[in-house]
Amino acid sequence: METTPTNEEQQTTIAPPAERLAYSVQEAADMLGVHYFSIYRLIQRGKLKTCRALRGKLLVPRTELLKLLQTDLS
Amino acid sequence: MNYYERPTPLQETANAEAMTVFAEHMKQFKSDCENLHNLERNLTTTANDAFKAALQSSGHQIQTDDGEDWQHGVKLMENASLCHRRTVTGLEFAIVETLPLNSGAKKDVVNSGHDVREVLQAFTRDQRQTFKFWKDDVTERVRDHLAEKYPRQDMSVVAESFAIKLDRAISQRPTQTQNQSRGVRI
Repeated sequence: METTPTNEEQQTTIAPPAERLAYSVQEAADMLGVHYFSIYRLIQRGKLKTCRALRGKLLVPRTELLKLLQTDLS
Repeated sequence: MNYYERPTPLQETANAEAMTVFAEHMKQFKSDCENLHNLERNLTTTANDAFKAALQSSGHQIQTDDGEDWQHGVKLMENASLCHRRTVTGLEFAIVETLPLNSGAKKDVVNSGHDVREVLQAFTRDQRQTFKFWKDDVTERVRDHLAEKYPRQDMSVVAESFAIKLDRAISQRPTQTQNQSRGVRI
């Protein structure tokens, strides 16, 4: 017989959201509050380093975004 | 895959679906390309306007992140302006890009020089490169989307059709304006 999990059980089985290591260009733009063309410009000018996903899509590492914000704040 | 073959009904469906999903990207891409084409078409006029502004020393002060002072000349695009200043060697021009971060705007000199036309041309070349970069990424995202939505189906022809559409938007070369053909010099 199947039993439905209680609320408490459900809460314990949900894993905390893992910190993302990298974001798409659109996500990076949303996080920084800029248009995504600005992200492409930063990548092209070497101000933002990227990596590529398996199929070739550009990804911006979280560390790069933080670095950009740190230079912005300093 | 032979791109000259007629697409299958599934590929046609996938194309229509992907066009809907990426409609906003395509629209934005074409609109931004059009802005660049306009700038290329009106390059001489823009250079003249910037030169006049520089001679009059008009425009509000801008300090870039490297601590250099400039005066705003002409707005080129949403986040890019052609600025100027007087130096001991004559008038100097620069493209200043603003990155409006949540924590405050970053202002960078993208390129600079004493010849305003050259500064503008370098900027438009640079922008074209960025569009190619953008095109490659959007095409990969379309490929990614199709692979997830239609697993084990050959959708390369659909992704390729996106790349062609984006390429066409970039490659529209500006027609020579009268001013350019007359060789107006500053």
